Amino acid sequence: MTYALEVQRLDKSYDGAPVLRHIAFGVEPGSTTAIVGPSGCGKTTLLRLIAGFEKPDNGTISLTGRVVAGDGWMPPHRRSVGYVAQDGALFPHATVGANIGFGLPRRSRKNSTISRLLEMVSLDPSFASRRPDQLSGGQQQRVALARALAREPELMLLDEPFSALDAGLRATTRRIVADVLAQARITTILVTHDQPEALSFADQVAVMSDGRLAQIGTPREIYATPISIATAQFIGDAVILPAHIDGNRARCALGDIPVALNNIQGKCQIMLRPEQIDVTTNSIGITGTVADIEYLGSEMLLAIQVDTTNNAAPQMVTVRRLGGATLLTPGKRIGIRVLGEAIAYRN
Amino acid sequence: MGLLSGVAVVAAAVLTVSGCSTSSSDDSGGAQTITVYNAQHESLTQEWVNAFTAQTGIKVEMRNGSDTELGNQIVAEGNKSPADVFLTENSPAMTLVERAGLFAHVNQDVLEQVPSQYRPSSGNWTGIGARSTVFAYNKKKLTEAQLPQSLLDLQAPAWKNRWAASPSGADFQAIVSAVLELKGADVTRQWLAGMKDNARTYQGNGAVLKAINAGQIPAGVIYHYYWFGDQAKTGENSDNVSLHYFKNGDPGAFVSVSGGGVLKSSRKQAAAQQFLKFITGQNGQKVLQTGTSFEYPVGSGVTANPKLVPLPDLQAPAVDPAKLNSPQVTELMTTAGLL
Amino acid sequence: MDANPSRRVTARPHLPVVLAALAVMVVAAAVLPLGYVIAATIDTGWSTAAALLFRPRVAELLTNTVLLVVVTVPICVAVGVTAAWLVERTQVPGATVWAVLLAAPLAVPAFVNSYSWVTAVPSLGGLSGGVLIASLSYFPLVYIPAAATLRRLDPAVEESARALGATPWAVFFRIVLPQLRVALAGGALLVSLHLLAEYGAFVFIRFDTFTTAIFEQYQSTFNGTAATMLAGVLVLLCLTLLVIESVVRGSARYARIGPGVARRAVPAQLGWRYTPISLLFLALVIVASLGVPIVSVFRWLAIGGWAVWNWDVVGSTLTQTLGFGLAGAAVTCVLAFPIAWISVRHPGRFSRGLESSTYISSSLPGIVVALALVTVSIRYLHPLYQSVPVVIAAYALLFVPRALVNLRAGLAQAPVGLEEAAQSLGVAPLTAIVRVTLRLAAPATAAAGALVFLGIVTELTATLLLAPTGTRTLSMQFWSLSSEIDYAGAAPYALIMIVLSLPMTYVLFNQSKKAAGL
Repeated sequence: MTYALEVQRLDKSYDGAPVLRHIAFGVEPGSTTAIVGPSGCGKTTLLRLIAGFEKPDNGTISLTGRVVAGDGWMPPHRRSVGYVAQDGALFPHATVGANIGFGLPRRSRKNSTISRLLEMVSLDPSFASRRPDQLSGGQQQRVALARALAREPELMLLDEPFSALDAGLRATTRRIVADVLAQARITTILVTHDQPEALSFADQVAVMSDGRLAQIGTPREIYATPISIATAQFIGDAVILPAHIDGNRARCALGDIPVALNNIQGKCQIMLRPEQIDVTTNSIGITGTVADIEYLGSEMLLAIQVDTTNNAAPQMVTVRRLGGATLLTPGKRIGIRVLGEAIAYRN
Repeated sequence: MGLLSGVAVVAAAVLTVSGCSTSSSDDSGGAQTITVYNAQHESLTQEWVNAFTAQTGIKVEMRNGSDTELGNQIVAEGNKSPADVFLTENSPAMTLVERAGLFAHVNQDVLEQVPSQYRPSSGNWTGIGARSTVFAYNKKKLTEAQLPQSLLDLQAPAWKNRWAASPSGADFQAIVSAVLELKGADVTRQWLAGMKDNARTYQGNGAVLKAINAGQIPAGVIYHYYWFGDQAKTGENSDNVSLHYFKNGDPGAFVSVSGGGVLKSSRKQAAAQQFLKFITGQNGQKVLQTGTSFEYPVGSGVTANPKLVPLPDLQAPAVDPAKLNSPQVTELMTTAGLL
Repeated sequence: MDANPSRRVTARPHLPVVLAALAVMVVAAAVLPLGYVIAATIDTGWSTAAALLFRPRVAELLTNTVLLVVVTVPICVAVGVTAAWLVERTQVPGATVWAVLLAAPLAVPAFVNSYSWVTAVPSLGGLSGGVLIASLSYFPLVYIPAAATLRRLDPAVEESARALGATPWAVFFRIVLPQLRVALAGGALLVSLHLLAEYGAFVFIRFDTFTTAIFEQYQSTFNGTAATMLAGVLVLLCLTLLVIESVVRGSARYARIGPGVARRAVPAQLGWRYTPISLLFLALVIVASLGVPIVSVFRWLAIGGWAVWNWDVVGSTLTQTLGFGLAGAAVTCVLAFPIAWISVRHPGRFSRGLESSTYISSSLPGIVVALALVTVSIRYLHPLYQSVPVVIAAYALLFVPRALVNLRAGLAQAPVGLEEAAQSLGVAPLTAIVRVTLRLAAPATAAAGALVFLGIVTELTATLLLAPTGTRTLSMQFWSLSSEIDYAGAAPYALIMIVLSLPMTYVLFNQSKKAAGL
């Protein structure tokens, strides 16, 4: 099966400073890939290379088997790639309708086509005569999407499309966009620094760090078996503890817990997800005291001081719990139980 | 405005401008055109041109400027100058161009129309008119007894801030050139230094006259025709002013000859000579007699406008027009700090 | 929406070579007059140059010129800032009307202003006369950027100061004025440069400056060395001003177009104590700078009657002026375009070098540029001597910097991200530039053209020196008639010049609302 997008050994530097190092991955047709990473890790650069706005120093980029960069060059206006920028990049001098029809040949810019596209992104067809500065942020993003979709591209690139929207709008817009793209079955690549977005949106998640592709896999894989502590912390809440591993068990402040096998022995660090830590009011097994509670509405953050044996350093663990009726108050004694396996990492 | 209409407007503009300013020489077809570098008053030359074109059908394009500006420009242009004829208000600029060897010999029949004291002996240019230096004064500010006897009196401390002139103009510089020719460089230098201390400067003789009339300054040194010209119009710049003629061959009685010459490099020699002939002929000189310029005619025996003091009565000093040296005048005036 | 749309953090790709070459050529041409003066000085030899430079007359001119600048600029700044403050930040009655009227004096050429004042007050002259006329003609150059900046200041800063106990005066001097520094420095520089270049206005009142003296020398010696030496001193003065302005401005850059302020400041109430005096001030300024010229011109027209309206001449001068204005504006914008492009899309050392060079050329007075072109065309490009292209070239050299300011602002409104979006939509690169970038920059380009047109209509010195024989523009015709003290005859041309300049002034005023600083 030919990848919709295949990137091989991609390098890019600016002024001598490397921004992308040996990036390689493939995207299956019709799927959605999220590229995540902290600011400055190179994900926007990667997107711009795929779009064709810049040329890579080394490596190749292929779209549906055709090499577009590397051993040959296809300029952006000939690639069948749609691009939605962070701020939408709508043309301020044109109406919404003119924006959407911009990339279409003149004869195809029919009102019916524009209306159809507007409806696809859940906007009323009357929007066609409005100007971009009359729209809200979310509406602008949707128009930008419709504009890109008008040309029925093979690949859709979204550069942090929701980051400028406020929380409520972000969720709605994201849902609409995801639906549109899924229905149209367009291969999509989304760049974001927001991890819930990446996890919910994509079939495949690529984690970037400092110009390199740290890990690529399904959301489940990345979440459950992150390749490094940094990735683990990036992709979700993580509880990191020092531990000593013997065989397939780790001894740590939360007791003796099973650990996934991966050839690490002796002193190391282990990672647990918050949902793996169960807190009960029965003070049996590993015990601790609730040091602080932070209420977050539907959830709360518990800071727990774990009891330590024989003068070991006191251990604080922060755990997220669903809120609601609770008997937990600061100072309360609780019991801690670990579910499932921890993941071990070298020190 | 759409892109296309914008381009159309600009294209039209460029065509209009280039059309408006096609240089002379349209030899194809009937009418010829000559280019005149004109330092005379525009209105006067325009009268000549109108009459000349009516008579001969030859068109004239004028480039207007001042004597020395145009003279120096012709010298700088050299034999590539587009000028066919050069007309001036005073002689020094003609001498400048003549010394650069750029004038063609004026035809004999043209030369014969003007008496020899009003043209150089070389015959490379000819006089077309004349004007007299005068001392203009405000009747209410100066009595006859207070008037100076000689132009050179004006350097005395008694005249501090009491007289005006326009030193940047070619007219006054011609007067200075007469002083230089008649009295030598040392006297001239001294006189100019006195002028720097005493005189108020204006831009143009018309401005001087206006200021005298308004009482801003009691007197000034200008040419006669400014007063007569203003009197013929509304008189609002001259009603309070009287003219005093120095006479007695004093430098202040200097009569400046306006010149006309044909450029050697001209490709329309015949037409150019014809223009000069017209100006110095009966019809051309009559313009000076009957027109509004009030300058003195010099050619074809035409007498001056009856309102003017007749030329012989002015007792002007004898000055060879060809000897008036403008570069030295400029240098002297620059050193004196007047330029 | 994000404040920095589609602006990338990483370095720009390579400079487009063709554009860079074009830009360098334009800048080189613009610096030509400076080179001419230097070459002429070297040619003359030091002893002659020294003799021509170090003499009492030059000291006289220097004193006059320096005094003129030193007295006029603070007056213009004071008047401009006060007027801007009253109009933008107080509840003075009729603010919208005052706002436009205060910019209108730009439509009256300084020499027409001078002609009008000399008619009204014939004894006007000397330094006081020069300062009066110059202040009235040029204060809008400070008023417009000051008003534009005041409009965009964030009121939150001032409100915090008030909350910390500062009195209104203290807020003005310690909070507002420093924020106006860039606009005021730019405005003051423009005023000074105009003062140095002004010729006609000072001739009417008999005030000798370098430029009037250069002209006189030119009239006496055509292209003589004395004229060039004086021009050299003038150039040095201009460069000094540029340095001073750069120091005053500090490292602050001229404000570019950015997102609008979230809030506008609440206009201060003047109350019964200050309203009358404010209105009186504004009225005086308008009467002096607009009223006197207009009344004078109409009075002369009334005196002259229909006789002064020589329709043939009026028609042909108008046509020629329009032709030069439109052609000049178009050529200037085209020439400025590569520099503006590089400055906005490829900022860096190279573009800063280009910009600084154009500032230097913008400081050169018309007469110096004209003298340089006369020399160059006579000696090296003879067919071009006294031809229309040379005049247009002079206009371009004089006005490219003015066009640049607006072109830069226009291109800044069209970030490269929009071009990239267009390319991702299948539009070829050049087509994308035309359909998106040029389209967005069009209004600012029109403003640039308007500004250049305004400059050309009122330009006198370079036109007088360079125009081909037979050319007659409005300013030339006005000048020739008023020099012969035919003030009534000159009046129709003054009127037409003002009428032509008004729409352009309006365009300039409108554009200033969208950009702070000049």
